[in-house]
Amino acid sequence: MTTPLFQLSGIHRRFALGETTVHALRGVDLTIACGESVAIWGPSGSGKSTLLNLLGLLDSPDQGSLRFKGEDVHALSDDARTDCRNRQIGFVFQSFNLVPVLTAEENVMLPLQIQGLAPRVIRQRAGEWLARVGLEAFAQFRPDKLSGGQRQRVAIARALVTGPALVLADEPTANLDSANSLAVVDLLQQLNAETGVTCVFATHDPRLLAHVPRHVQLVDGRIDSDRHAHQPQETLA
Amino acid sequence: MKTLHLGIRNLRRNARRSLTTLLSIAFGFAAVALFSGYTREVYRGLTEQAVHGELIGHLNLTRRGMKQEGRLHPERYLLRPDEITRITALVHQQYPGALVAPRLALSGLASNGRVSTIFLADGVGAEAMRQLRGPRFHGSGGLAENAPQGVTVARGLASLLGLRPGDDASLLVSTLHGQANAADATILDTYGTGNAGLEDKALFLPLAMAQSLYDAPDRADRLTILLPDIAQTAAARARLASACAAAGLDLEISTWQEESAFYRQVKGMFDMIFSFILAIVLTIVVMSVANAMGMSVVERTREIGTLRAIGLRRSGVVRLFVTEALLLVVLGCLAGMLLTLLVRAGVNAAALSYTPPNGTGRVLLRVGLDPGKLLFTTGVLSLLGLLAALFPARRAARQPVTDSLAHV
Repeated sequence: MTTPLFQLSGIHRRFALGETTVHALRGVDLTIACGESVAIWGPSGSGKSTLLNLLGLLDSPDQGSLRFKGEDVHALSDDARTDCRNRQIGFVFQSFNLVPVLTAEENVMLPLQIQGLAPRVIRQRAGEWLARVGLEAFAQFRPDKLSGGQRQRVAIARALVTGPALVLADEPTANLDSANSLAVVDLLQQLNAETGVTCVFATHDPRLLAHVPRHVQLVDGRIDSDRHAHQPQETLA
Repeated sequence: MKTLHLGIRNLRRNARRSLTTLLSIAFGFAAVALFSGYTREVYRGLTEQAVHGELIGHLNLTRRGMKQEGRLHPERYLLRPDEITRITALVHQQYPGALVAPRLALSGLASNGRVSTIFLADGVGAEAMRQLRGPRFHGSGGLAENAPQGVTVARGLASLLGLRPGDDASLLVSTLHGQANAADATILDTYGTGNAGLEDKALFLPLAMAQSLYDAPDRADRLTILLPDIAQTAAARARLASACAAAGLDLEISTWQEESAFYRQVKGMFDMIFSFILAIVLTIVVMSVANAMGMSVVERTREIGTLRAIGLRRSGVVRLFVTEALLLVVLGCLAGMLLTLLVRAGVNAAALSYTPPNGTGRVLLRVGLDPGKLLFTTGVLSLLGLLAALFPARRAARQPVTDSLAHV
């Protein structure tokens, strides 16, 4: 039996909000296998982004166990988690989050430069990924000269350029029109199929859900349902 | 990551703010550089005045206690001829090219035959005086080997007694043994002392004439040493002190800085002003850089979150902001250097002059360059700029990544 990419058990996450405490995740158990494509969906405030932050090693749970490739990530130092993010995880954000002073190519090069690879290798890989997302002609454009869809494609190239095991996309279509949303979703699914990279989306966009085989529904910080698209909906509670 | 590359881009992103910070650094640097350049020229002028104008030389050797008790018991403290010979040999042994000039100070009354006034005289050999005057040997106020009774008097004293070159005067002094003694003197020349306090009193006379007037043949109250290089002064004092002690000579050795109270006072004052200006400039620079970096951190919070998410360590974030701050400081210092050179060229070309405190004539306002202080200022500015950026940079690096990404 192969080790799952993620294994979450009994995950709780609370946030202090002024005088009150918000219980964002209340005992989440979830296993994600390598190469899967998973959509985490639910209404606003259901805990989607909190769960995605934990999967992205950007945050730590207050309670419970989170294992990434079989390793308890809670025990890792901040630098080790940061290095793990750089090599194993790609991020696609709702607002693209490109560095505005860098060109499309330089944005894609960033994660590789952080790794300290040779400049020639970095440029070659960044060029390949920009071509793969169809933006080789826009390599020297800065983000403010690109459309929303183009920016998101640059962000996808940046997320995948290191050859990660996982891509996390937080509402990747929220700021895009229908045509660009579909293009981005198709691109991510195509890359998932071609490279075997695991994709986890947080979304409440039905256009995206329709393209993702596994749907995990969160309601009030708990997993309400976890089903594959071809299965009939099954409520866990 | 290409930190420098990203730093330059980020500075250009906020061009106006970067320019304001850069200009504050540049003007501050130029203020420090110009003032230190001015003081350097002043110190150079004062050094030359002390060493070659007042004929203090580089080192002065006296019998221990001469300065405190010498006037009361001159017989006890004047150097004897055999001691002068031994000391001269010792000095030449250590510094073959050095000049050793026996000196004898006198005071008394100078008269033109009708009126008298007090004088403070210094006896020195004509050739020794020529060497002691160094770069000023062509100027007015020298003695002559072939004029054993020829003296040179300060312009104020000459004016007081109505004396001109070629005139005769009488000098009346009290001898070593307390008896009155007088001699006729011929005015060879007049000179400016550069010191208002001495201008109506000072005169130089040949050493032999001074020894005769004081009734102290071949004796001297001090030996003035002119070293081959002024930079050797401190080391030479130490070497000669141990050599003299080893030879059984109980001497005090003072440097030209110790002998010239005026130099010490002016230098002390200018050094204080320099420290004050430097403190103001450093405060402005620290505040400017801290403000620029603080604002930059706030504006780029989400970008920092993104960089952290894609794998930039906390130390990388700190390095990024510190690099930007250092870039600002270095570019500011370079712009300040350019400004300094322009203003310096303008001031020096304008040939402005002024009368310094206690001075007797106008001097040119010259602005030099003090590489030591410029390097020091650049170093301190860079260090403080780095520290000023460190606090906001550390704050940015330590912020939880999720908070940074959620920043609006």
